[in-house]
Amino acid sequence: KSAPKSQKSAPKSPKNPPKIPLKIPKNQPQNPHKSAPKPAQNALKIPKKSAPKSPQKSAPQSKKIGPKIPKKSAPKSQKWAPKCPKNHRKMELFPVQMEGVKLTVNKGLSNHFQVNHTVALSTLGESNYHFGATYVGTKHLSPTEAFPVLVGDMDNSGSLNAQVVHQVSSRIRSKIAFQTQQSKFVNWQVDGEYRGGDFTAALTLGNPDILMGSGILVAHYLQSVTPALALGAELVYHRRPGEEGAVLSLAGRYSAPSWIGTVTLGQAGAHLTYYHRASEQLQVGVEFEASTRLQDSSVAFGYQLELPRGNLLFRGSLDSSWQVGAVLEKKLPPLPLTLALGAFINHRKEKFHCGFGLTIG
Amino acid sequence: MGSGEGRAPRRGRARGNPGSFDGLHRSCKEVFPPQMEGVKLIVTKTLSSHFQVTHTVHMSTLGPSGYRFNATFLGDRQLGPTEVFPTLLGDMDSAGSLNAQVLQLLGERLRTKAVFQAQRSRFVTWQFDAEYRGDDCTAALTLGNPDLLAGSGILVAHFLQSVTARLVLGAELVYHRRPGEEGAILTLAGKYSAPNWEATLNVGYGGAHASYYHRANEQVGVELEANPRLQESSFAFGYQLNLPRANAVFRGLLDSSWSVGGVLEKRLPPLPVTLALGAFLNHRRDRFHCGFGVTVA
Repeated sequence: KSAPKSQKSAPKSPKNPPKIPLKIPKNQPQNPHKSAPKPAQNALKIPKKSAPKSPQKSAPQSKKIGPKIPKKSAPKSQKWAPKCPKNHRKMELFPVQMEGVKLTVNKGLSNHFQVNHTVALSTLGESNYHFGATYVGTKHLSPTEAFPVLVGDMDNSGSLNAQVVHQVSSRIRSKIAFQTQQSKFVNWQVDGEYRGGDFTAALTLGNPDILMGSGILVAHYLQSVTPALALGAELVYHRRPGEEGAVLSLAGRYSAPSWIGTVTLGQAGAHLTYYHRASEQLQVGVEFEASTRLQDSSVAFGYQLELPRGNLLFRGSLDSSWQVGAVLEKKLPPLPLTLALGAFINHRKEKFHCGFGLTIG
Repeated sequence: MGSGEGRAPRRGRARGNPGSFDGLHRSCKEVFPPQMEGVKLIVTKTLSSHFQVTHTVHMSTLGPSGYRFNATFLGDRQLGPTEVFPTLLGDMDSAGSLNAQVLQLLGERLRTKAVFQAQRSRFVTWQFDAEYRGDDCTAALTLGNPDLLAGSGILVAHFLQSVTARLVLGAELVYHRRPGEEGAILTLAGKYSAPNWEATLNVGYGGAHASYYHRANEQVGVELEANPRLQESSFAFGYQLNLPRANAVFRGLLDSSWSVGGVLEKRLPPLPVTLALGAFLNHRRDRFHCGFGVTVA
């Protein structure tokens, strides 16, 4: 059934170039095992002049390497260009922290509409129920991408995540995203991206508040210098009553047939990643991050092993904070079930958590 | 205990041996799911028809994680599917705790058992057991933690008699002694077995314990435990669902302390691997824990 697949992949593309600290919507179909603390992390991002590449990491107590899915670096916007489809894979290499039991039911109601229910019983935090709905429109850009895409997610305490992505013209794509924590709006942002022949330019306006005169403006530019090399820059300007500032970062990405290396350097710190496709089944990634604001650095190593014949997907990670974790996902044919088992151990803090989840549909 | 004088003539099947006293509630207890938390990996390796070793790695979310090593030696004499004599069992922990058991058969009817348990380097339990199994009765004597120097110990005497083919009555006397203190507790027990169900009752000074086990298409067990000394009672309902075609066994539990839990065990042929997934939720205390385990062979 390719129709639900297109619904799932289309929301993926707008989410992936999260160039701003305000990467709000956690699109439920992608990260069925996102742990509860995520809304809190998003909420903390706003007033900070944080490294634009790593929104989650701006919160001081955030799990730096854990929630890997919405990995950000400016070159990702290049993923629209047909020459780099591998960027998706690179981000999803790292396993997601799992704890407690999660049941996800995805139901495709039609070619355009899909709903999902998620019940998460958590051992550490609060258990919750999420309801998500995805609508995919009729304007087809390619067999797998259709626009507009409307994604909404509501949880049992009333927190809402909503996102609208639309292809305004053949080269301009725009996005509007809202996030509330119970009944209070914590994120609202508007995004516009222009894709030229060999360059990408994007502008994002985050949490604009005209009455108070505050907001965040992010501008990205990425240029393909050669078929393998892409260079770009990101400028983050934030303003609050009585304070304003700007952060500039330079980014570069080199793509070879079997590996991709990216570098992001700026006043906020440095972020280097290396992704290698060792074989059809094995992919390996290394990530290094240094932050001048938090005055610390970290390295993470992750790998993904795919065995399509065994319907198996295994992801493991090893961190410089002495954290080792792995997630095993197995499809159970002929039923449309996927079982995921995950365990993470933090040797330094001597904390262990494990969890399993079942996805239906 | 005469075996025929002045009794009603036997009907149907003969009164068999009633088994051991501790096994009275066993069929009901086996229906309940075991509490699972954290990740457990159990690897069992059979080295020969007599010797078997087991490695267990348990990574726990609540307590400390550890590794256990277990070695079992089985002798030549086999009385039943799970009863082999002599049996020597040793279990060692990564913290140094030891659990050792020796089971031996003396003669045709007398079974003896010695159990030693050490936590780190201190012995906490040393107990000796002798059980006589007659045609329709069982008598057992257990000496627990005898300490001649301190003059303390626990003596337990059991007696079970098959009154009819279905009814078993018995008693247990526990005598404990410490320097300056001694006491005894008497408990009466009864068990009635029907083809589809079993009911067991233990009544004594220390409280009452009743259990009911029913075999429907699935298996259902209901357990009631009342302890008047501690002024509390608990009630638990458990069920077991066997799905042999799916190679799965599911056990569920509902408690009077508002605890709900379930464990699913699935064998994964052709590998000799069993995957167990379990989760328990205590509504009253708002606590949830889950775990999974893999058993190899």
